[in-house]
Formats: sequence, structure tokens, C-alpha cells
Amino acid sequence: MKKYGKGMASIMFGFGYGEGFPDHSIASIEIMEDERIQIKTAAADVGQGVITTVIQIAAEILRINPENFEVIQGDTHKTKNSGSSSATRQTYFTGSAVKKAAEELLANIYHYGSIEFRSNHPELGVENGRIFLYDDPDDYITYWELARRVKESGNRLEAEASFFPVTYEPDEKTGQADKVYVAYTFLTQVFEIEVDTDTGIIEVLNVYSGLDLGKAINPKNVEGQIEGGTVQGMGMAVMEDQIIKEGKTLNAGMTDYLVPTSVDIPKFEHSFIEDEDSEGPFGAKGVGEPTLIAASPAIANAVYDAIGVRFYELPITPSKIKKALKEKNEENK
Amino acid sequence: MGKKYNVKDYYCKHTTRCSTEGRKKSKRFVGHNVLKADAWDKVTGDAVYPDDISFDDMLHIKVKRAVHPHAVLKNIDISKALKVSGVVDIITAEDIPEVRQYGLIVRDQPVLVGVGEKMRYLGDALAVVVAESKEAAKKARDLIKVKVEELEVITDPFRAMEDDAPSIHPDGNILITHHLDKGDVEKGFANSDIIVENKYQTQFIDQLPMQNESGAAFYDERKGVVNIWASTQWLHDIQADVAQSLRLAKNQVRIIQPTIGGAFGKKEDVSVHIHLAIAAIRTGRPVKFTYTREESMITQSKRHPITIYAKTGVSKDGYLQAWETKFIGDTGAYASSGPAVVHKGMYHCTGPYNCENVRGVSHAVYTNNTFCGAMRGFGTTQAAFAYESQIDIIAHKLGMDPAEFRKQNIYEIGSTTPNGQQLNHSVNARETIESAVELSGWKGGNSK
Repeated sequence: MKKYGKGMASIMFGFGYGEGFPDHSIASIEIMEDERIQIKTAAADVGQGVITTVIQIAAEILRINPENFEVIQGDTHKTKNSGSSSATRQTYFTGSAVKKAAEELLANIYHYGSIEFRSNHPELGVENGRIFLYDDPDDYITYWELARRVKESGNRLEAEASFFPVTYEPDEKTGQADKVYVAYTFLTQVFEIEVDTDTGIIEVLNVYSGLDLGKAINPKNVEGQIEGGTVQGMGMAVMEDQIIKEGKTLNAGMTDYLVPTSVDIPKFEHSFIEDEDSEGPFGAKGVGEPTLIAASPAIANAVYDAIGVRFYELPITPSKIKKALKEKNEENK
Repeated sequence: MGKKYNVKDYYCKHTTRCSTEGRKKSKRFVGHNVLKADAWDKVTGDAVYPDDISFDDMLHIKVKRAVHPHAVLKNIDISKALKVSGVVDIITAEDIPEVRQYGLIVRDQPVLVGVGEKMRYLGDALAVVVAESKEAAKKARDLIKVKVEELEVITDPFRAMEDDAPSIHPDGNILITHHLDKGDVEKGFANSDIIVENKYQTQFIDQLPMQNESGAAFYDERKGVVNIWASTQWLHDIQADVAQSLRLAKNQVRIIQPTIGGAFGKKEDVSVHIHLAIAAIRTGRPVKFTYTREESMITQSKRHPITIYAKTGVSKDGYLQAWETKFIGDTGAYASSGPAVVHKGMYHCTGPYNCENVRGVSHAVYTNNTFCGAMRGFGTTQAAFAYESQIDIIAHKLGMDPAEFRKQNIYEIGSTTPNGQQLNHSVNARETIESAVELSGWKGGNSK
């Protein structure tokens, strides 16, 4: 028999290293003569999309299409520290550093542009990689031409910036401090599941998410994070378990170590709360880790709703469900 | 496969050019679905992952790992292995006396376990075999003979904390302890009408990125720089750790990042990097090292299994009064991110709910299990299983809709976390509940 249940979980996640750690990110950006804008960052794109995120941020500030950008990432001799791609920090930290560098570069475009046009910035327009006087938009200088002229004068059209917010180390005895993490991301998920009382298998049908993320720089990538993270959380809830006995792993391979696959993926509906109220770029907060966290308690709560059994140990495997149902039936006899 | 790079071509392909068809006329880019810059390369197979890198004249590495989870190495015999055709070098601890231990936060991991030293889990490296082919390296590795003196294998952090348990590391088995103390929990429990106390247990989980640990290295003798192409989540930190371990200046270690096939925390730690660097420097030839899945699962970090005790007090009108908790995390054989993970979980022990009185203690404890470190959620994932189970249990005891109980206690601007951090901006936790309730048509579950 299949029994239907619904469960909810709300979570918080303090992102960035926090705790007084000197967490920061450095980025630079340069307009090249050959129609490229180069962003340099050591932020590792592990698939989450930080390359795309920083391009979008820089494109927005510099008012030019993303296709003009290239990112040099991942070379200790070409880039400065951008911190790790962990702690849900890259959009917030490297995104902010790139935004600040792009703003500085934009100011320099105005500065050098005003020299070229013998004018001042209120009279200058900047759009689609061109600088012009509002009075005569057809007489423009491209970013690339400006870069060439600036170079001739012995300078470069480039900027570097860092983002280095303050946090404090918690007190050793009490764990108290004014600011332990830069900010918190919040997520609530409702899971709809079916428990097969014969096989003990939990099937997740639908997942509804409300995510407080400040601003989605790239909504599609955020959806990817929610869906990927949630499915990873489902693995933790119902199947993943590296069994180590006497120090020896008994299931060191993907034959015996079960993870969710495409057949396990439920239907998703999301709602983004975008108040643009964080101190990150365009008000954005990090979302990477929070998307995984609600799944296991939400599923445990849904299992309780479905069959009236509470589980205190993960994963909630089919054999545990069957054993619990058997015990429950015997009690009721 | 089949891509070959000249050793002078240090860059491979690590510049990503954005391609965004269809947005040419737009003036806004933030908040829009710009196509992922690296999508095209990934779906066409053009992306270069570490294992795709291949140099002329390249050697291959296999590592002989520990034969027992807790034992003293008494003897290592590589004589038969050296005779295997194609073997170029077999490196043991006695070849590298000047090399130092490494580690993400605490430098407690040996590059190679030497005779008279301890192996602490089955992933510890005993010898690095360098050969003309993977097959030769593997054959030679399997011919290395090892003698050990077995010690008690500690698999349970509670056993590890007992007075008579042997110390896995010199300073004892409790790696680190943290405390939380906010308000007055005794008073809070005295004011509680319902107190719910439970023990929760989570498991070892592998991050399981699709790409196993992998890398290539080449030593540029003229510049005195060892170049390492390997994926990591934090280039400059790995660079610093490799450099200190090998007693090189930081700029003598160059880490170049190929495309990364997933990480989820597993690629925060050093894996192939130092073994690659040593082999490249000693042989003067390009070298490559890719873990098997089995090796990856046994050798690199796991999500911490955490035992969480949670005691929660609530008034009969449904307001949280006190929360007391204890976190015991099995950090395995080495510290890795352990000193940061377990207490981060505890710092989130109440979830996003107002609670004036909180007390907690957390311990990260060494055992002889595979070491635990960073994985997406970093201790707070385990914490959420406990606090959101507690919240659900209490709501049912109170006869309240779990959504309403949550909303009644949820953080707002001005709330303070278990750390006493006052939240002064971007707190829309209530709205997350309201939107999930609306999307799902939540009416309180079957029990309502």
C-alpha cells in the first residue's frame, strides 16, 4: 500500500567563513584593445556558475553585452586570492569584488572619456561599449579605441578591487559575538512523498521551495542549485551511506553506494524572495549550500505524516521503514 | 581523450569566453538567464578536465596505501616492485626526509608514512610508484611488501573519548571543543511546559563529484617552478600548503585549474598535488595521477557523522524557551575541515527560530575512519535534521500546525542567533514559509 505524506522544513545558513576569519576576494578587470574585456579571478567554477555570475555583474555595470567578456580563472600566477568555492561565498564575495572593480573601471572610462571629449561626465553617455557626448551620439569612441589611447599615454584601462567584510571571532567560552557570519540565507521546503509499505521505498513526488536569496543574478542557475542541492539532500535522507566497519569501507564504489539518479528526481516549484536587501552584489545572498539542508528533515517529517513513525537516524532506508512498520503493527495487535 | 599539450603550454584551456546568443539587444544582464559561459564546452566535450591532460613523455603514478587502519609501519620492501619493467621511481618516506606534513587547518597529514611512524586510516600513503604506464605502476604497487604492528582500531568517537583509548595523534583524540552559552537555559527550561529531548545520528556521506581527484604536473627546472594542473576549490590555499610541505617559496608552486568536474567540499583538501609535485621534481618529467573511485572514497574527506543531542523547551502557547545541545562529530583520522565543521553545525542548532536561552558543546573527535571534512552544508546539514525534527515533534505535541508553530517563532529583523548575532538586514524567513505554504497548498499535513 502507498501512504501519502507531507513534511516541511525551514533552515538558515550563515554564509562565508565568518568567525573572524580574514575571508576576502580580489578581482581585476581590464579592457583590451582587441575587443575583449578580461576578468581575472581565482574563484573556482565547480559547476555552480561563478564565471557566468561575474560576467553578468560586470556586463551590467559596464553596460556591454556579456559576449565581450572572458574570464581567466584558476591560475595562481595570473590571479590573486579569491578564497574558496565553498561556504556559499563566491557570488557574495567574488561577485562583490568584480562589481567594485567594474565600477572603478566605469569611472575610469568616464575619466579618460571626458579627457578625449574635453567635457565632463554629466555630458557623456556610455552604452554598448561606446562613449559619446549626448549632444552628438554619432561621434563616439569605442571602449577598445579608448583602451588603445589610454595605453598610448602610458596607462591601462583596468581596475582591481577586493571585498573584505568584517566578522568577529566568537568568545571561546560562550560562542557569542556581534557578527559571526556576514549574513544568513533562509529556505523553507515542503515535500510531498509516498511511502510504499510493502517495499519500504520512499518516493518524493513534489518539492515546493521558498528561498530568501536577496536577488537571483541568474534565475536559471538558482533553479539549478535548488534542484541539484535538494536531490543531494534526498540522497542523504533515504539512501547515501558510506559504511565503514573497523576502519574499512565496505561499499567503496558506485555499485553499492547508492545515490539518487534521474528516476528519483521529483517535480519542483520554486518561489524566490528577492528583496535585494543583502550587502552582496545587487542585493544577492549565497544559495549553494542552503539548497541541500532542508531535504532530510522535511522528508523525515513527511514520513512521520505518512506512516506515523519518527526516524532519528539517517538514512531512512527501505529496510528501516519495513522494520518500523512491522514493530508498529505488532504493537497495535 | 587524445588532446596532447606541449609541456611549455602551461595554460591548457582555462580561459572561458562568454557566449550569449539572444541577449544582444538587452541592456540588462543581472536577473536574466544568461547562458552559462562554460556550457558549450561542457556539452560538446571541448572542456578539458584534469584527466584529459596528456603530455609527451608523461609518467603515471600509483600510490601504495595503508594496509591497516591503525598500525606502526615496521618495514617496507620495494625491491620486487622496482624490478617491474617500466618503473622509473618508487618514493618512500626515507627519500623525502625534509618534506613536512600538510592539512587544511591543522597540518597533521603525512605525505608518506615512514618506518616507525603510524598509519591512521586506510588512505594513508606509504609509497609513490612512478612508471611509464598506469599498468606498470599498478603492478609494481601491488608487489610492495609491508610489515606492520597493529594497534587498536578506533571506529567510534565515544570510544575515542574514553580515558583508556590509545591516542591517534599526540595531543589526544578530541581535536577541538566549542561552547555556546546564551541567556539562562535553566530558567528557560523552568519556564517550559513541554520539554522534548532526543538523540539524532547522521552518517558518512561521500560528496561523489563525477570527476575523481586527478592532476598532472611538470617541473620547470630553469625557473625552479613546479606546475600542477589539478582541480581544487581554493587555488591559493592549496598552493600555500604544497609550498610549505615541500619547503618551496609560494611562487615556486603554480596551480593551474583545468575544468572542474564537481567538488561539493571534497576538493578543498590536498589530494594528488604533493605526490605529483615530488614525482615531477624527482623525475624531471611530466607526471599524471588520477584516483580510482574506490581510492577517492577511501582516501578523501567525508561528511561528518554527527551524534546530536537536542533538548528543547517550549511554553504551552508555543514559544521556544530553551535549547540545549551537544554535537559529537567523528572527524576520522585527520583534521581536514573538522575544526570548523562540527561547531558550525552547533552554531545553527536552533534553526531560524527565536530562543533566548541556548547552551551547547561540540567536539570533533579523531578516529581511524576515513577523515571527514567539508561537504555542502558544512555541519549545518546534520544540525537541521535534528532541529527541524524537534520543531515538528513539538508542533505535534502542542497540537499546532507545524507551519504556524514555525511562523510564531521565526527570526525577524532584530532576532539574535545562538551566537548572539543580532540580525539587522535581509531576514525574510517568514516569507519563505508563507511562499512554500502557498505553493504547496499546505493545510497542516495528514494529521490536520
